[in-house]
Amino acid sequence: MAPPSQPVRNTRQRVVESAVLVGCALAFLAACLLVRWPEAGPKKLSAEGLGIFVAAGLTLIIYSFLYRDNPLFKLAENLYVGVSLGYGAVMTWYLSLKPEVVDPLVFAPSRAALLDALAHRTVPILMGILLLTRLSRQHGWLSRYAYTIMVGWGAGIGIPIVVHSYILKQLGPSVRPLGGGFWDVAGGLAILVGTVTVLFYFFFSVEHKGPGRAVSRVGIWFLMLAFGASFGYTVMARVSLLIGRVHFLIGDWLGLRP
Amino acid sequence: MSTPEADLRRAAIARRVVYLLLAVAIVATTLVPTEMKVVPSPLSRKVYDRLEAMPAGSPILFSFDYDPSSKEELYPMSLALLRHAFRRGLRPIVMTHWLNGVGLCKELVERTAKEAGKESGQDFVFLAYKPGGSNLLLNMGESLKGAFDKDFYGKPTEGMPALKGVGSLRDIPVVVGIAAGGTTEMLIAYGRDRFGFDLGAGCTAVIAPDLYPFLQSDQLFGLLGGLRGAADYETLIGRPDTGVKGMPAQSVAHILIIALVAGANVYVFLIRRPRRKEA
Repeated sequence: MAPPSQPVRNTRQRVVESAVLVGCALAFLAACLLVRWPEAGPKKLSAEGLGIFVAAGLTLIIYSFLYRDNPLFKLAENLYVGVSLGYGAVMTWYLSLKPEVVDPLVFAPSRAALLDALAHRTVPILMGILLLTRLSRQHGWLSRYAYTIMVGWGAGIGIPIVVHSYILKQLGPSVRPLGGGFWDVAGGLAILVGTVTVLFYFFFSVEHKGPGRAVSRVGIWFLMLAFGASFGYTVMARVSLLIGRVHFLIGDWLGLRP
Repeated sequence: MSTPEADLRRAAIARRVVYLLLAVAIVATTLVPTEMKVVPSPLSRKVYDRLEAMPAGSPILFSFDYDPSSKEELYPMSLALLRHAFRRGLRPIVMTHWLNGVGLCKELVERTAKEAGKESGQDFVFLAYKPGGSNLLLNMGESLKGAFDKDFYGKPTEGMPALKGVGSLRDIPVVVGIAAGGTTEMLIAYGRDRFGFDLGAGCTAVIAPDLYPFLQSDQLFGLLGGLRGAADYETLIGRPDTGVKGMPAQSVAHILIIALVAGANVYVFLIRRPRRKEA
């Protein structure tokens, strides 16, 4: 059960947070009204100018999540999903369905073109329609025909390609003859030792004790180094996204930097 | 005495302090005009050198596979690559495997073409998007004009000057894939290894470590990783832009994060030591 002081504190906290929110909204509006863009910049009441205001507002709302989840963040999040889906639907129509299905079959310029379209497109269109039967419990089994072809085609084409490109081609650099300068030899040895020890670490059929334990410990160190590199790159990526947004807010929105 | 609730509350406050410090560091570095020398990495230089070595008029395929959520990292390097290609007089063939990236790609192509005074269909072609992923690549390997019978603007690709001499992917010597997902691996397996073109890559920093093995096996000739890769390429083409402008803030943020990680480790070490002694 919550202590009696909890609701009072929460109410006070909510009032403070609401006041901060109203303050932020007023500051945002003031910034939009007072901002002076350079001569070459867009006009405030043009579509581009209003677009910048909306983008700046949504950026700030999205970053408000760093303090706490809130209704405005949820609004922006849903707006993002909705806009992405809507954009995707329109693009699918104009770049895929209309030119590939509707135009050749409905607006075929000649009888020969129509027959050609029917010959080449009937089976793929039928397969596409069969996939949509997944939406019906009664007729969902029909989609299995389309999936069977997709999985069979994918496996038949994909397995040899993947084995060739991701396994066989990678074996070469793992066992490259040692040679060249000191760093080439060191690099080659590091790749060889790393590959062997990490593979041994994931070999669970033998208990890792004695010399095996030492080898798997070396494998763990290589894994930790790889995770560290991935983490470092991830931090760099996220910071880059923040820098891009800050540049937009300070440059495009507030006009404080060219 | 420390309770789990108090620990959680402290952690929440500490998290917000970290966010605030990071925001202040980046905003301050952005507001104060700072210049920073960027020394291009050997991997970025390889991409530049490969494009420099291409004779003027050669076709080059750019696959810009990202959407606005990765724009901050990948748009600057795409911009620099296209500017370089147009300056060298190459014939860019531009496409995307990401449906939601079409608008961004269109803006990018039209902006760089306008800057360079190039004409669609004559000096470059924007093929935009088609579904299929790996199957589309296989199709393009058989016949590029069969896979894309029209460009984004509805002009037939057959007889288009920008595609003169290009029948399939086998006729394109260099492909550069800029990716926010797994399309670089797809270009390697279904494109480069099958049709023999040279493949260069640009990617978000998150996926860069996954692509390093393909550099060692020479399946990629170069790699531009994240905003740093963009800054490298802008420096190489002698046209600094958002990538180079972002480097001071990126460096300050990295120093701050390293200091915070080190400080937090020292703090944890110090508070655990007396507890161990008590135990």
